[in-house]
Amino acid sequence: MNTEIVFLFLQQGIASGLVTGSVYALLALALVIVFRTTDVANFAEGEFYMAAAYLAFFLIALVGLPIWAAAPAMVVGIAVAAGLFQRVVLRRVAAARGVSVNLVIATLGLSYVLKGFVRATGFGDTPRSFPSVVPDGSVTLGQASLSYLDLAILGAALAVMAAFFAVFNLTRTGRAMRAVGMNRRAAQLVGINLGRTERLVWIFAGGISAVAAILIAPKLLMTAEMGGVVTLAFAAAIVGGFASLPGAVVGGFIIGIAENLVGLFVSTRAINVAPFVIIMLVLIFKPQGLFGGRLRVRKV
Amino acid sequence: MTKHSLCRIALAVAALAGLAGPARADEPGLTPTTIRIGMFGPLSGASMAYGFDVMNAARMYYDKINKEGGIHGRKIEVVQEDDRCNANDVVAAVKKLVEQDGVFLLNGGSCSAPVVAAKDYVVRSGVPWVMLNASGDGALYPPQPNIYGAFSISQRAMGGSVVEFASKELKAKKIAYINHDDAYGAWNLEGARFQAKDNGVTLVPEAVSPSITDVTAPVLKMRASGADALVIATYARPAQLILKKAQELGFNKPIVIAVNAIANLKQLAENVGSKDAFRNVYIEEVLAAKPGSEKLAWIYDLYKANYPDLAGKPDHPQVYMPYGIPSAMTVVRALQAAGPNPTRAKVIEALDRTDFDSGVMAGPIVLTKTEHAAQKASTYFKFDGEGLTAVPGSFASRWTYQGQ
Repeated sequence: MNTEIVFLFLQQGIASGLVTGSVYALLALALVIVFRTTDVANFAEGEFYMAAAYLAFFLIALVGLPIWAAAPAMVVGIAVAAGLFQRVVLRRVAAARGVSVNLVIATLGLSYVLKGFVRATGFGDTPRSFPSVVPDGSVTLGQASLSYLDLAILGAALAVMAAFFAVFNLTRTGRAMRAVGMNRRAAQLVGINLGRTERLVWIFAGGISAVAAILIAPKLLMTAEMGGVVTLAFAAAIVGGFASLPGAVVGGFIIGIAENLVGLFVSTRAINVAPFVIIMLVLIFKPQGLFGGRLRVRKV
Repeated sequence: MTKHSLCRIALAVAALAGLAGPARADEPGLTPTTIRIGMFGPLSGASMAYGFDVMNAARMYYDKINKEGGIHGRKIEVVQEDDRCNANDVVAAVKKLVEQDGVFLLNGGSCSAPVVAAKDYVVRSGVPWVMLNASGDGALYPPQPNIYGAFSISQRAMGGSVVEFASKELKAKKIAYINHDDAYGAWNLEGARFQAKDNGVTLVPEAVSPSITDVTAPVLKMRASGADALVIATYARPAQLILKKAQELGFNKPIVIAVNAIANLKQLAENVGSKDAFRNVYIEEVLAAKPGSEKLAWIYDLYKANYPDLAGKPDHPQVYMPYGIPSAMTVVRALQAAGPNPTRAKVIEALDRTDFDSGVMAGPIVLTKTEHAAQKASTYFKFDGEGLTAVPGSFASRWTYQGQ
C-alpha cells in the first residue's frame, strides 16, 4: 500500500466515520440519558429509532405529507410515545417493586412489539427509503468525498447534541434531570417531581432517536431489523463511560471511525468485530470508560 | 367349480389386485388416485419474498398437470408447511410432512442456509427431496442420494457465472468481488475463484457482514484496487448501500449485481435514489428471458388465472415466482418416468437421469448421479434504473464438485 493510498484511506475513513459515528452518538446519547436518570438500559432504543423511520415513511408514502411536515410530526409522535411508555408501563413495573431487571425486560418486550408491528404492516421486510431533504451531489475535503446528505447528517446531529447539552446544563428541567441522576431521594426532597422528570427524559430520548432516524434512514435504508444498530450505540456508550453524556458522543465518533479504519487497514471482515475489540480494550485499561471519571470504591 | 378352483381364482384376483393396485403399503403418500407431495417454504416472516410466490408457482403447475389428467391417472395432492426460512422450522416442517402427513416426496425449500438443517433427516428417511428455489449448496455438496436442488442456481454456479460474464462480456482482467462473510458468501466465492483462475483473470474479493452499516471501507478498497469491474454478490440491503457508495466515491467501472441482491428492482432503484448510480450497471438473472416477457408470459398468465386476488396486490407476483416452475416440472417428469407403479427408488433413479430445457431458466436442468445441482447458467441485463436491456447469450459456471 503506497503513501498516497494510505492518506486517501485515512481521510475518507475518518470523514465517513464521523458521519455514521454522529448517528451512533445520537443513539448513545439517548441511551445514556435514560440510564443516568432512571438506571434502565433501554433495549427498545433501536426499535424507537426503527419505528420513527417507518412512521416517517408512512406519513410520506401513505398519508402523502411532504417531508418538512412529516419529519416534525414524526419526532413529536415518537417522543410522545416514549413518554407514554414510561407513564403507562415503566411506572407500573417500578411500582410493583420487583427487581430492577423487570424494567429492562419491559423495554425488551417493547422492542419485540414494535418490530412485530412494523412486520405486520407488510412494509418491514424489503429494504426501503424515503426521499432525502438534501439534493444529490458531493463535496471534496482533501481527498475525502462527502455527499451533501453526509454533511447534513453530521451538521444536524451536532446541532441536536448541542441543543440537548444546552437544555441539560442550562435549564431548570435539565438541572432536575441531572439531580435525579445523581441522587433520586435528595432530588425528591428538594421538590423535584420524579415521575415528571423521568417522563421528560424518556420524551427527550424518543425525540433524539427520531431525529437520528430521519437523518440516517435515507442513507442506511429501513428494514424491521434496522434497530440492530443500537448495539453500536451501546458500544459507544460503554466506550465513553455509560453515565457520561460527552463520553457517549465521543464514543459514537470513535466507533464510527474505528469501523472504517479497521475495514480499510485490517480487513472488511473485521468491521463488525472492531467495536467489541474497542470495548474490551477500554474495559481492560479504563473500566469506567473514557469519560467515566475516577474509579470509586463504595463501602457497603 | 371345485373348492380348489375357487381358491385359485381368489388368489389370482388378489394377485392381480396387488399388481394393478397402485397403492403399495411400503410407499407412503400413494393411493390409486393421488400422489401426496410435501411442500415447505416461507409463507410468513421476514424472508417471505424468497418463497411465498415460488410455492404458489409450483402449486399452480401441479394444478395444471391435474387438469390435464394427472400423472398416470393420479392427481397430485399438495400438503403445505410454513418454514419461515428458519432452520428449526424447516426441520419441523420436513418431519411433520414425512412422519405425520406421510408424503411420497418433498418439494420445498427456498432459503439456502436454513434448508441445510434438514439434510441429515432427509438422508436418513430416504424420502426424495427436490428443493424449490434454494441454492442449498450445503445439502448438495457432497451429493446426497436423495436430495436435489439449485433449480434457480447454486451459489457456486452463481459466483462462476458472474465472473464468466465480467471477464468474457465486459472484458475485465481484474474483477473486484464483494460477498458476505457467511457460508453463502464462501460458496459463491469458491465458484468465482475457480472461474477466474480458469479464465486467467484476477479476482479481488472483499467479504462484509450482512448487517454492515457503513460500506465506505469495502468500496474504497475496491476502487483503489484498480479493478475493471465490480461484482456485488451480497443480499439486497448491502448491495444497495454499496451501489450508492460506489457512485458517491466516483467508481466509474461496470458494476454487476448478482441475483442474490435483486428481490425487487423497482425498490432497488428507489433506494439508491440517483439515476447516475445506474450509468454502468448490469444485473444477473437466472431466468431464460426478461421477467414478464413473451417467452415467460404463460407463467404470469397462469399466476393471474390461479391467484387473481394476489395478482391484484402490489409487489405480486414476487420477483422469484417463476423459479418454482422448473422444480415442479422436474418432479412431474420424474414421476412420469417412474411409471404407473412408482416407488421412491424409481423416482430417485429417474431424477438422476434428468436432462431437459425448462424454457424458464437460463440453462438446461441437468441432474446426474454425481451432480444434484440442477442449473448453472445466468442471463444478464443492463439496468439503467428503469428499464432492462438484455445482453445476448447466457453465461455458465464451470465449477464442479471434486470431492473434499
